[in-house]
Amino acid sequence: MTDAVFHETAAAPRTQAVPLAHLSLELGHLYMEDFEAGPGRLRRHFAEVRPWAEAARAAATARAAATARTGAQRARISTCFLVDDYFTRFSSPAEVVPMLLAEADRAGLTVDYLARESGCAVFGEVPVAEAVAGRIVESPPPSSHGIRPPAAQTGWLANGERSPAVRAPQAMKRAQVWRPPKETAARRHSVFLDTELFSDGPDGRTWSCPFLAAVWQLARLGLLRHQGEAVLSPRPHGDGGFPDDWDDLPPLLRLNPDADPFTAYRTCSVLPNRFLPVEHAVRVILDQTEVDPGALGQVAVRARGERAELPDSVADRVSYVFYAGP
Amino acid sequence: MRPPETGPPTALLCGEIRTCLLPARQALDIRSAAQFLALRADERVLLSERPTLYARSPDTLTGVDCPLPAADGARVRAVGTVAAHAVLTEGRVLQTSARFRAPASGPDQRRPWGQYLIRPGTVEPLGKLPREPVARGVLDGGRQGDLDVGLIADALLTRLLRHPLLDQRPPMRSRPTRLRWAALPAPSGAGPSLERFTLAEDELRTVRLRVPEDTPADEIAGLCADLALHDWLLTTVVRTFDGIRLGTGADRDGSSVLRALGPAVDHLLHLWMPRARVTPALARLWDPLEERPGFTRQWDALVHRIRDQLALQAIGPARREVEPAP
Repeated sequence: MTDAVFHETAAAPRTQAVPLAHLSLELGHLYMEDFEAGPGRLRRHFAEVRPWAEAARAAATARAAATARTGAQRARISTCFLVDDYFTRFSSPAEVVPMLLAEADRAGLTVDYLARESGCAVFGEVPVAEAVAGRIVESPPPSSHGIRPPAAQTGWLANGERSPAVRAPQAMKRAQVWRPPKETAARRHSVFLDTELFSDGPDGRTWSCPFLAAVWQLARLGLLRHQGEAVLSPRPHGDGGFPDDWDDLPPLLRLNPDADPFTAYRTCSVLPNRFLPVEHAVRVILDQTEVDPGALGQVAVRARGERAELPDSVADRVSYVFYAGP
Repeated sequence: MRPPETGPPTALLCGEIRTCLLPARQALDIRSAAQFLALRADERVLLSERPTLYARSPDTLTGVDCPLPAADGARVRAVGTVAAHAVLTEGRVLQTSARFRAPASGPDQRRPWGQYLIRPGTVEPLGKLPREPVARGVLDGGRQGDLDVGLIADALLTRLLRHPLLDQRPPMRSRPTRLRWAALPAPSGAGPSLERFTLAEDELRTVRLRVPEDTPADEIAGLCADLALHDWLLTTVVRTFDGIRLGTGADRDGSSVLRALGPAVDHLLHLWMPRARVTPALARLWDPLEERPGFTRQWDALVHRIRDQLALQAIGPARREVEPAP
């Protein structure tokens, strides 16, 4: 009823748009054990990342040029780095961030945006992780006609059907025969994965690393909204230093004032291969998350407008480079 | 903004709506309604105050992979998501609505799940869709294990009826109704039409429609919810006369008449407003029902009858004087 004279704003859905780069390039994650291993660990990491980061840039530039309307289009690429302050708190931004930036700089890399992992759980007042968990629509194994216990209750999400629970045989009853789990999208043989989304303890709910990493991917893809408003918006970093407490650091900080937008059509993360199982779980989660349809529609329209190639499926917009390393 | 409808054109749209009285002594005000229908933390409840108080929950999706019901017994496996939402009218009448759209054909194999999630509310057949048998199958009800959108509407209703905002003390007795609907494409160039509205046994109604191919599923579901709401109002008010013995002298003080009709006046009579939330293109589908049997005609007659009864009760003592002496 768009031609009507009368309008009520609360009656119409609305979705805030976000700026979009072609590629969001992640230069790494920092956990406590990395930090404790000393600056040498970061130095080796960035040295490993450098050639792959350049390759990712070259690929994004080639893709943008191939589809540009006229002449060579510059690919908009932003870089980001994620620091864990959710699972373990270590050191302080004042100590960690300058060292991190110095080591990146030594390798010839620029970190445009710095994010804190806890921002993927709760950003300001917005319970981001909880909202994403509410958007999980489980992939139905064959013969599902709509009645299943949702993942939200169990805290686990699988890429197929679990193996049935085997109970100890009771007297006079035959033991149940073990049946294997089954990946729904298996090609002949299954690679079954069951991932924990969260655990509940006396201090409340703790989101799992793969789940927060999935939220992180959705944030970089510009697909997170809270009641139509964009979440995880970057805040500029002034000229001053960095605070002594992680809580005083904005969850997403723009370090480079000239950076391309944080959110992008596609993401690429360069990580050591110990992250492989985590990122497999991320893919399983992303494949079963229904993102905000308004946000999805905006990104699709923009991509069409500048002829940027955009995979339909959200999980296919995410790519990785895993290098051999700790 | 809703995303542009992508993918192949729609060959069939189906749904089922449950309509019931909210089990609460007082109708919910608009703020409580927003709280009641907040099925997702990150999406707003749509609220509208003109011409009636109206609140609509965000959509929730349920993944399915099962045969579609087909009247000719064909087994067509289909995969996708059924979208469900709830609506509260005047804080008093609760409706849950589940629906899906289906294209004329789909790939022979199931696709990765993420590709289904980008088209929420779409269920894709593997192979060709026998649209006419499936439309009849949906309206007649399928076999055990077939897709049953009524179960999904029912699951959402059950979930909402457990909400702590409800005191489980409805002001009057009433029964929920079910309305199943199926919309097939109209011949090219033709407008929408209502082919059949059937009052079946067991509080079941079925509606068969023809609509132009680009009609959004939301708008058709909105029309059917409007039909379901008004059919439920008629059904419920007709029932309030059941069991009252009018003019027999057995109820001289009129208390049973007041007890039965009072709540209908308090809670239902102001709800009659056909077409209030229907798009102009679909609103004229009401016309044949107004012609025969004449929904509004029957409603007006019921309202007059209630008012006459209450007026008679008000002048009760005077009436007794003119009754012939025994």
